[in-house]
Amino acid sequence: MSVIATPARQSAGGISARTVNRIVIYGLLALFALFYLMPLFVMLVTSFKTMDEIQNGNMLALPQAPTFEPWLKAWGETCVGLTCAGIKGYFWNSIKMVVPAVLISTLLGALNGYVLTKWRFRGHTLVFGLMLFACFIPFQSVLLPMATILGSLGRFGVTLRNATGFSFGLGNPTVNLVFVHVVYGLGFTTLFFRNYYEAFPTELVKAAQVDGASFFQIFRRIMLPNSMPIFVVTVIYQFTNIWNDFLFASAYAGTGDAMPMTVALNNVVNTSTGVVEYNVNMAAAMIAALPTLLVYVVAGRYFVRGLMAGAVKG
Amino acid sequence: MAFLEINGLRKRFGSVEILKGIDVDLERGGFLVLVGPSGCGKSTLLNTIAGLETITEGEIRVDGRTINDLHPSKRDIAMVFQSYALYPNMTVAGNIAFGMEMRGVPAAERQKAIDKVAKVLQIGHLLQRKPSQLSGGQRQRVAMGRALVRDPKLFLFDEPLSNLDAKLRVDMRIEIKRLHATTGTTIVYVTHDQIEAMTLATKIAVMRDGEVQQFGTPAEIYNNPTNLFVADFMGSPAMNLIPATIGGNGNALSVVLQREAREPISLPLADAPTGLSAFYSKPIIFGVRPEALTDPEGAERNASNIATADCHIEVVEPAGSDTFAVTNLGGKAVVARLRADANIQPGTVTPLAFNLTKAVFFDPATENRIL
Repeated sequence: MSVIATPARQSAGGISARTVNRIVIYGLLALFALFYLMPLFVMLVTSFKTMDEIQNGNMLALPQAPTFEPWLKAWGETCVGLTCAGIKGYFWNSIKMVVPAVLISTLLGALNGYVLTKWRFRGHTLVFGLMLFACFIPFQSVLLPMATILGSLGRFGVTLRNATGFSFGLGNPTVNLVFVHVVYGLGFTTLFFRNYYEAFPTELVKAAQVDGASFFQIFRRIMLPNSMPIFVVTVIYQFTNIWNDFLFASAYAGTGDAMPMTVALNNVVNTSTGVVEYNVNMAAAMIAALPTLLVYVVAGRYFVRGLMAGAVKG
Repeated sequence: MAFLEINGLRKRFGSVEILKGIDVDLERGGFLVLVGPSGCGKSTLLNTIAGLETITEGEIRVDGRTINDLHPSKRDIAMVFQSYALYPNMTVAGNIAFGMEMRGVPAAERQKAIDKVAKVLQIGHLLQRKPSQLSGGQRQRVAMGRALVRDPKLFLFDEPLSNLDAKLRVDMRIEIKRLHATTGTTIVYVTHDQIEAMTLATKIAVMRDGEVQQFGTPAEIYNNPTNLFVADFMGSPAMNLIPATIGGNGNALSVVLQREAREPISLPLADAPTGLSAFYSKPIIFGVRPEALTDPEGAERNASNIATADCHIEVVEPAGSDTFAVTNLGGKAVVARLRADANIQPGTVTPLAFNLTKAVFFDPATENRIL
């Protein structure tokens, strides 16, 4: 506005230094954006092309005759290892594994944060320090010990089934993965919630105590409803991490029916029978990436809104 | 037996003693104000009454029942917090009803109670709003409504007015006083503002470093402070505490105040406290409130012991309702309170009247009052 209001002050040359700066900055930004979007663009256009077009055409060209065939094939027909029923089953495997893992680890993290800030006990800093330390444990170092533990749990599950007729999910690869991700995610979720609740007014908890609310009533009625921003942050973080995890998935559910999406996608791409179907591979990869994108698009909005609300309220 | 009794209450965090043996009591329908500088333990004391902090030693009784180890919700108390502590995710009605909801009161009964309280506090039109949509004064009212709706034996207020601007604070102070007068509830109120303490209380406990310095009615605290701390803390402008010596002869003592470049003032004491003779020719602290130090025409007519002395006026502060004159006695700035229209000029020597019936004396070594 000020530039428009005071044209007389602008240099006689017409284009001021300010404008040049803007052009350079936006130009560079556009260039980097293009650079980052390029692989996604290639994936997207390739997934809508026929094999002929891929083999004869330009990688960057738009599809001449867009077709959903590769997507349908990736979803329902493509071969994952030896079975050729598409990736849809594995997609649901991932959903079944990710949703409980995210919810359980987030809720437990919230509970930990609540206790570590509002119900402090002797040695709470040590406990928090250890939880924090859990964030820095390399994945690889827990692979074998965790495999041993999961093996023991599986054997216990068999014992349980023999005794009661029901294994309570112990030994089920999906349950195993949920367990691993919850344990591994707890450090992060606790850190997030603990730091958020540290700034949460303690007087609200005291007021609720005077009002006669119990430990869990305060958690459910006072803490959780006022935790939307950090809840969304944690869910996005955990969802992305767990959905994209390949190491644990391949180690503990790398074969068989419970295989998650990431492992299945790897198997699709590595299946070496005949021609490599790039379009189907790209479509499968897009499908694998969609849920995390969706979480960002849907929840990211709440995330920003939550941050703004917090900032205004002070 | 008093309604609220606190006997020998101690609170320790590890080796640090926060409350060092508190004894206070309050009659039914009384208004007890805990006042003191920050860190004196007044909020901790309130929290122990509420049950939000455990106590190490001692006893808290309300209406003859020991409540030491009861959960806060079982103590039949209600608390108004400094930040109001309104639940941001609930409406005003939800906030007021939350306690009843937790106690399992049926919805119809809750609604009735909400309406009643809303009427008393005139917040009926706000019931469906969220706390973030309220002004500071409205939040304050809702916080009081949440306390009122419980109809408790004891109300606890933790610096409820400190977040309000000056004008609103005075309005709400009057409102709290009116509320106390009309409902006849028993209130314990924490503040660091001595004016709030004086105006609201029926009993004041002045606290410092976890100890009650003085416990009594506002008039007792104001007129007969037991030590230098209480004398200095209560009253605005503060009491003049002037280093002095006791002179005169065995029968008629006088207070001798040193002055810069002038001969000392000697004020004869007609009925000096008996303990004062032991301080003959020794240093003491002479305490006189600004309103007991004024121009001779404005001095209290029926005070039995008034002494007049010429003082060099250094600064004059017209405050509208009064005029304050600052002089220098015993090496300290001394404030005198004069009528608004008093004709007084800085830099002149003017006679000032000391109302010695209102004067108090302290032992500089122990800081206690000399009686």
